[in-house]
Amino acid sequence: MSLVEIKDLKVHYPIRSGFFNRIHDYVYAVDGVNFEIEPGQTYGLIGETGSGKTTIGRSIIGLEKITSGQILFNGKDVSTKRERKAVHYNRDVQMIFQDSLSSLNPKKRIYDIIAEPLRNFEKLSDTEEKHRVRELLDTVGLGDDDLFKYPFEFSGGQRQRIGVARAISTNPKLVIADEPVSALDLSVQAQVLNYMQEIQKQFNISYLFISHDLGVVRHMCDSMAIMHRGRFVELGTRDDIYNHPQHIYTKRLLAAIPDINVDQREVHRKHRKEVEKVFDTEQSRYYDKNGRVLPLQQISETHSVALPEDQVKGE
Amino acid sequence: MTNSKETQAVKTPSTMKVIWQEFRHDRVAMFSLVFTIVLILGIFIYAASLNLEKVTNVNIFAQYDKPGQDGFLLGADEGGRDGLKMLVIGARNSIMIGFAVTVISSLFGIIYGMISGFYGGWLDNGMMRIYDFINILPEIMIIIVLVTIVPKYNSWTFIIIMSCFMWLSTARLIRSKALAESKRDYVSASRTSGTSDFKILFREVLPNLSSIIIVDTTLSFAGNIGIETGLSFLGFGLPDSTPSLGTLISYAQDPDVIGSKPWVWLPAAVIILVLTLSISYIGQALRRAGDAQQRRG
Amino acid sequence: MWKTILRRVVIMIPQIVILSLLVFILAKFMPGDPFTGSITPQTDASQLHALKVQAGLYDPWYTQYVHWVVNMFHGDFGTSYQFKEPVMAVIGGRAVNTLWLSLFTVILTYLIAIPLGLLAGRYEDTNLDRGIMFFNYVTYAIPLFVFLVLGLWLFGYVLGWFPSGGSISLSANGFFGNALSRLYHMILPGVLTALLSTTSTVQYLRSEIVDQKHQDMVATARAKGVPERKVFSRHILRNSLLPIAAFMGYSITGLLGGSVFVEQIFVYPGMGQLFLNSISNRDFSVITALVMIYGILALFGTLLSDIIMSIVDPRIRIK
Repeated sequence: MSLVEIKDLKVHYPIRSGFFNRIHDYVYAVDGVNFEIEPGQTYGLIGETGSGKTTIGRSIIGLEKITSGQILFNGKDVSTKRERKAVHYNRDVQMIFQDSLSSLNPKKRIYDIIAEPLRNFEKLSDTEEKHRVRELLDTVGLGDDDLFKYPFEFSGGQRQRIGVARAISTNPKLVIADEPVSALDLSVQAQVLNYMQEIQKQFNISYLFISHDLGVVRHMCDSMAIMHRGRFVELGTRDDIYNHPQHIYTKRLLAAIPDINVDQREVHRKHRKEVEKVFDTEQSRYYDKNGRVLPLQQISETHSVALPEDQVKGE
Repeated sequence: MTNSKETQAVKTPSTMKVIWQEFRHDRVAMFSLVFTIVLILGIFIYAASLNLEKVTNVNIFAQYDKPGQDGFLLGADEGGRDGLKMLVIGARNSIMIGFAVTVISSLFGIIYGMISGFYGGWLDNGMMRIYDFINILPEIMIIIVLVTIVPKYNSWTFIIIMSCFMWLSTARLIRSKALAESKRDYVSASRTSGTSDFKILFREVLPNLSSIIIVDTTLSFAGNIGIETGLSFLGFGLPDSTPSLGTLISYAQDPDVIGSKPWVWLPAAVIILVLTLSISYIGQALRRAGDAQQRRG
Repeated sequence: MWKTILRRVVIMIPQIVILSLLVFILAKFMPGDPFTGSITPQTDASQLHALKVQAGLYDPWYTQYVHWVVNMFHGDFGTSYQFKEPVMAVIGGRAVNTLWLSLFTVILTYLIAIPLGLLAGRYEDTNLDRGIMFFNYVTYAIPLFVFLVLGLWLFGYVLGWFPSGGSISLSANGFFGNALSRLYHMILPGVLTALLSTTSTVQYLRSEIVDQKHQDMVATARAKGVPERKVFSRHILRNSLLPIAAFMGYSITGLLGGSVFVEQIFVYPGMGQLFLNSISNRDFSVITALVMIYGILALFGTLLSDIIMSIVDPRIRIK
């Protein structure tokens, strides 16, 4: 059984307008998404700004009200607040936020920030709690001296490590990481990512890694999904996506990765232009007449793509 | 452990500390602060030594004594009462009423604004409609009407009636700040950490509003003293048994008194000016301190 | 835009209903009834009772309320017990006085506030700016009535430059004589109130201009070599001044509240003074009418401001 199962998840926001403020239309932030998360694996969720990837993350953790669909945790439905509360859901599913400064309360000491989930979910004595918080700080490479400091006294990378420590304090099974390193310098990014990987090995945590950075996802994730306009366009393993992309949107995204090899620059640019041209001409075939992404078609055991039906047969 | 406790003592960016820093650098603010504290303390200590009944006793022989005459430092009023003693008692009453109204209305305004801003949605909508409505009411007139029709009118009913209208600006300010604050990730993080909304509101969000609350409360205090004395001036504030600074100034409504016997009312006017100006100045210095802190964070 | 205005007007309807209910309830709590004034020792109790029944005073409250509202729509607020005249007739003359004084005050307020705000914003961080900001802090902090009493004392009594009360002198005659005398009586209360009413406008203008000064389009104009004066008048002024027009409506509420103090202190026969006078004489039909009128005026003031605002600033149209 999978750890988490998402079934036909939809999150729609009403657009109100007119004289009586009636609902006239919806923003389809997430529009029918299915996937599963296995224990100890890392999943990447890739998409441009506004593609709905963050909304998926926030609805899994329970910060966003879902419109329809189901979220199963260990086979149990956790789609509503009451159900989540009953199974102490957030003890097992935690989150790392993008903006480390805003995600740490400026008026609280590091000790109290990390201890917050512990106090809510575990009944620890004072000494046990202190011990646990120190242990966690140690895991992310921070010392005892930092225990009673305030968030603004740390660097961005350190703050994000504090965010990681808080997220893993209750030994969760799944951590949702919403662009955890995109606000950090490149050198610091690697450092935080390495801590995350080490922790994963140690505690057998699953990550749902939300990012627009294809390089980071490639480094971190075993399997991944590409999102566009609230739906998945392609779902597969690292090899499936990076080496055998099928959907024009995926191809376009991959072509947009800058190439460090200067000699290849011309070739790379030519390739990018070609992909862009294909995207423009073929777009209508890959999206329905409302601009909606087509349903996913399975093309191998691990690989699903939102292809037009005729193309699946032709493959 | 001792080590980390020391670091804590050194590095805490507490609101109080930042404020203290700001005041040390602003001489006028420092002066206002010290002056206000000394003035209020002096008034309270002197007033405590006075016997209200004795002070308000009418002594017709001393009517409108000039300052210095018969040992009245600030002269005497229509009833021959010692101007200085009346002034001190009036000032004490005005400060106390202003303080009580500020505490009650700010408390209510803070809670109202925080709930409205934090929860948002239809609750916020409804609460803001109520706010809008009370806001357009002609408050001075309604307070006056209430004061005249309320049975068993005393200082406390007056405080309650005033508080009914004085929470509005606080509520509005706090709402906008709570709204901004509730969108920050630390609130989401607390939610996913299993903390209840109620606790998030008062244990996580509230501390982040502390500097704004301090500023607003200080300014409200000055404003409320002004409104209380104004209503007492019109004769619809403190009951007659409790003289206020406004009551003392209201003697100036007599054309003879305002023109030729300024000692009866002028000191009270000066005290109100001094009080409201210095308290407002403290409030503005506090606001600057709050801004500096934001820049630093 | 019409939609916004229409919606804003629709929102006002329940506000008026609640306001009228509130005033009605207040009126019910006031002691006495329309006949209290005409009671004499000779009044026959049963006859009085019959009169009260006829006037509907024993009807259920909602019937009385509807009756009251309907009368109000016809301009009938009952009879003043103090003046033995219809309330509307009593208020009428006073309302004109209040209107003139308020109008005069509003004009003066803007005449003082706009230049101060512009200067402070344009010469930001100079001594001039600091001086204006200090003035602003003083006008913010001082309670209106203290300022008025002090002003009256200084200019009316000590210096004797202005009359100490009333709206017109008895010796004035002729159209111009009357008008001049009226104006002369309004100067002191008007100027004093206006000085204290400038705070928010000065503050708003200053910060708006400081904001605009740092905006890209202004920087671009400057970079293109547009002279500073032109930058200021073309780009900054227009954007900053328009919303000021919208404040006009909001300021009505503040002015009306202040009119109680101004008119009492300057013995100016307007609605505010009438209100206090009626309160001391327990003339409740007049009080009720005045509270209702003040409430409705405030409602229309905010309506006006909101509409002007929605025309001037498209951002708030979507609400």
